[in-house]
Amino acid sequence: MDCSHLSVVLDLSPAHWQICAQHPQSPLDLSDFLSQLLAFLNAHIALKHENSLAVFAAFPGKRSIVPTLRPYACSHPVSHSVMLYSSTDPPGDHPPQVDPNSYPPFKLLDSAVLSRIHDELDDSEEPSALVGALTKALCYINRLSLGQNTDPRILILSVSPDLSTSYIPIMNSIFSAQKLKITVDACQIFGPDTVFLQQAAHLTGGAYLYLERREALLQYLIMAFLPSPSIRKVLAVPTQDKIDFRAACFCHKNIVDIGYVCSVCLSIFCQPLPVCSTCRTKFPIKTIMRLRSSLPPSDLASAAPSPPTMPLQTRPSQNGTQNGSKH
Amino acid sequence: MRAIKGVLLTCDPAVKQILLLLNEKESFIIEDLDDHHLVIKAEQEYRIRKELEAELEKNTYSLES
Amino acid sequence: MPSAQNTDTDNDGKQHVQHIIIPFLQSQSQNTLTRLYQRPSSCLSIFRLLSPLERQLVMNLLWLESAISANTMHAWVTREGRKLYDEALVTLSRLHILLTATGKLALNPTFKAGFRQAITGGGSTGSFGIPAEQSDKHPGIDIEGLDAYALERWETILHFMVSSGTGQQPTRPSSGVLFLLQRSGLMSGSQNMAPQITSAGFQFLLQPPHDQLWDLLLQYLRLTEERAMDLVEVLGFIFMLATMELGREYSIENLGVHQKAMLEDLRDYGLIWQRRPSSKRFSPTRLSTTLTSSSPPLPTSSGTNSGPQEGFIILETNYRVYAYTDNPLQTAVLNLFVTLKYRFPNLVVGSITRDSVKKALMNGISADQIISYLVTHAHPQMRKNNPLLPVTVQDQIRLWELERNRLKSREGYLYTNFASQADYEFVLNYAKELDIVLWESPAKRCFFGSIEGHANIKGFIERRTMGAGP
Repeated sequence: MDCSHLSVVLDLSPAHWQICAQHPQSPLDLSDFLSQLLAFLNAHIALKHENSLAVFAAFPGKRSIVPTLRPYACSHPVSHSVMLYSSTDPPGDHPPQVDPNSYPPFKLLDSAVLSRIHDELDDSEEPSALVGALTKALCYINRLSLGQNTDPRILILSVSPDLSTSYIPIMNSIFSAQKLKITVDACQIFGPDTVFLQQAAHLTGGAYLYLERREALLQYLIMAFLPSPSIRKVLAVPTQDKIDFRAACFCHKNIVDIGYVCSVCLSIFCQPLPVCSTCRTKFPIKTIMRLRSSLPPSDLASAAPSPPTMPLQTRPSQNGTQNGSKH
Repeated sequence: MRAIKGVLLTCDPAVKQILLLLNEKESFIIEDLDDHHLVIKAEQEYRIRKELEAELEKNTYSLES
Repeated sequence: MPSAQNTDTDNDGKQHVQHIIIPFLQSQSQNTLTRLYQRPSSCLSIFRLLSPLERQLVMNLLWLESAISANTMHAWVTREGRKLYDEALVTLSRLHILLTATGKLALNPTFKAGFRQAITGGGSTGSFGIPAEQSDKHPGIDIEGLDAYALERWETILHFMVSSGTGQQPTRPSSGVLFLLQRSGLMSGSQNMAPQITSAGFQFLLQPPHDQLWDLLLQYLRLTEERAMDLVEVLGFIFMLATMELGREYSIENLGVHQKAMLEDLRDYGLIWQRRPSSKRFSPTRLSTTLTSSSPPLPTSSGTNSGPQEGFIILETNYRVYAYTDNPLQTAVLNLFVTLKYRFPNLVVGSITRDSVKKALMNGISADQIISYLVTHAHPQMRKNNPLLPVTVQDQIRLWELERNRLKSREGYLYTNFASQADYEFVLNYAKELDIVLWESPAKRCFFGSIEGHANIKGFIERRTMGAGP
C-alpha cells in the first residue's frame, strides 16, 4: 500500500506570531497562515484516500484556570502541546454539518483544527513546547505504524528561535525518528535559522527550508513538503546546503563551537570537568590537566579548575573517530 | 519465385520430432524449415494440435488418479 | 487483462498501473471534459485516479496565478525521473488538465477553479451532494446495513456469473445487469438463451473487486451514448458518489434527469441504497465511496461471517489449498482452478493439480491471474512467509501454462524459389520494411511472411516484373 502518513507540528507561540505579523517586508499573520496551512493539509488528504494526517500544536505556557488541580501552574506557566486532529480517530463529539459544496473529510479537518486552536490559544510570552508536540507526533506514529508501512513523515512549522534547553530532547526525538524511519521536514517561517531543526531534517533525510517569501507559504509547502519520499526521487525538493552541526552543552545549555565529550556516555560539556555529571564517571587527572592546558585563553578564564575528557569538534564524521577511542 | 500459403509453427525441437512422427501417419507438413520452424497446411492445424496434445498427455504423470 | 492498459515504472521499481478510466476520459472531447471540470467533486475524484507524480505536478501548479515556463519546472526533475515526468505531462495534457501551449505550463482554468474550490470548500455548485433532512419517520440505514446490502448485490452478480453453465440456479440479477454483462463480453448468450460466462468473464472473476467495479462502470459509460444520456451528468454523478460520506443520506432533488435515471442501475450494482424505488433520498454504499481509493471496496469482501476478513487461503508446498470460508461465491471461484476435496462448515480443502489448472487455462484464465488471486486472498498466517506463496507451486503453475503454449502458429505465406540472391534480398528488404517477416533463411533463400502482408508483396513483385518485362 503506497499511502503515506503526515504529522504536522505547529509552533503556535502568540508572541512570535505577533512579531511575524508586523514584519516590515513580508508580514504573515496567524489567521492567514492557518488558511494556507489548511489548504496544504487538505491537499495531503486529497492526494490519496488512504493518506493519514495528524496535526499537533505546541502552545506556550498557559495559566491553569483551575489552580487547585494543577497548583504549580499558577506560579510556573507550563507550556503544553495538543493533538489538534488525527484522521484515524476523528472527533466524535459534534461532527460538522455536511455542506454540499465541500468534501466531508476536508470540512471535518478544517473545523477540528480551527476550533481546537481557538480553544487553546491565549496570550503568553513563554516559549512554546515544540519538543513536546514533536514527541507526541513520534508516539502517535509509533502507535500507527505498528506492522504497516505508511512511509511516515513529520513536518515542523516553526516560528520560534532555538531553545537551547531543548537540545537533548530534540536530539533524542531525532534518534527515535531515525529508528522509526520517519522523515522529518522542517520549515522555519520566521526569525533566525534554527540549528536544531536543520540537524533534525539532515539526520532523517528530510528537507529544511527557511521561508523567505512568506506570502508564498502555500506554494513553498506544496512544492517542498507535499511530495512523499518516493516522489522526491523524481521531483527534487529544495533543501539547504549549509547545515550548522553545532551542539548544545549539557551543563549550561549553550551552543558550543568546541565541546568536551564524556568518553562513556557521550554527554557534551562546554568545559573540562573532573566527573561526568550524567554518568558519574571520574576522569584521570592527567587528561584534565592536558585538556585545560590546551584551552584557548578566553576559555581558560572561565574554565573551572577541573578539565575532563577530550575535545569535541562538532562534526559527525569526526565525532565518530573520537568516540571510537572510548573504553 | 513461388508463394505457398500455409501456417508457420514455432515449437521446441522435442515437439517438432513428435510432429514429424505424426507426419508419417498422415502427411501435413509443407516445408521443414529448421529445428524450431515448420510450415504446415492451414486446414490441418486444429487436428494436429489435438493429436499433439494427446501424445503429450501420454507422457505426463500425476499423483492423482 | 482488461484493467491494465498502460504501465509505467514507479520510481522505486513499483509498477504504477494507469487507471482504466483515464484512457476513456482522454478519448472524450475537450468540451465534455471542461464541462466535467466545472464540478469540484469530479476534479477531486479524477485527481485521485492519477499517478503519484501527476498528482504532485497538478498540486505544484494549482496555486500559481500565471503560467510557469516549462524549463523552470523541468529544472526540478532529477535525471532518473525525466521519462516519468515526460509521460506525466503527456497524460495530463491529453486529459486537458494541463495546457502546454507556447512552452509554458498552466492548468486548465476550469479545472484550476474547480479543484481549488474542492480543496478550500465554498462555491455554490453543490457537487458534493445535498444531504437529506434527518427525518424520524424514515430513519436511515446504518453502515452495517449498507455493507450487507452492497455485498449481497455484488455477490449476486458474481455468483450468477460463476455458476452459469454448472446447472445450478443462482439468483438472477436484474435484466439491466444481465444486459451490461453481455454487452461487456463477460457473458455470452442472447435474450432467449441462458447467458454463459466467457473467457473474459473468468478473468474478471479473479480480479480484485475494485477493478471489477470500474470494469462494469466503464462499460456502463460506453452505453450512455446509445441511451442518449449526457456523459457529463453520468460521470459527474459517479464522481460525486466517490466523494460522499458513508452512512449519510442524500437528497435526489438536485440531481439531473439522467442522474435520476441512473438511480435504478446503481441500486442494482449495489452502489447506492434506497428505501423504495420512489424514495426521495439515497445512501451511497462503501462500493461507491471507495471508488477513487485503493482500500477494499467491499465491506467484508471475503467471508460473510466466518474467517478473518483480510484473507482466507492457505497454500502449502504440497499444492494443498485450505480455504477458511463458507461463502458460496468464494468456493465457486476457487473451484475454477482448484480440485475441491472436502467441505466443512467453515473450511474448504482442495489441491491445485495439473488438471484443475489446465481447466482454468482453457477457460482463458492466465497463470498470473491465479497467482495474484492467491496472493490477494492469502490468509494472515501466510503473510509471514517470504515469498508469500511456495515457489514450487508458483513455478509449477507457470510451467503448466507454458506447456500449453509449446506450439505457436501464424498464418501466412512461404516465399521460396527466388531466381537469384539479389532478387531474394530485394523482396526480403521490402518485406522487412513492412515488418511482416516471421522467419527467414538466406541459406535456403526463402522467408515466411504474415498473411496481412501478402497483398503488398504480391503487388510489389507484379510491379517489378511488369517494370522489368518490357
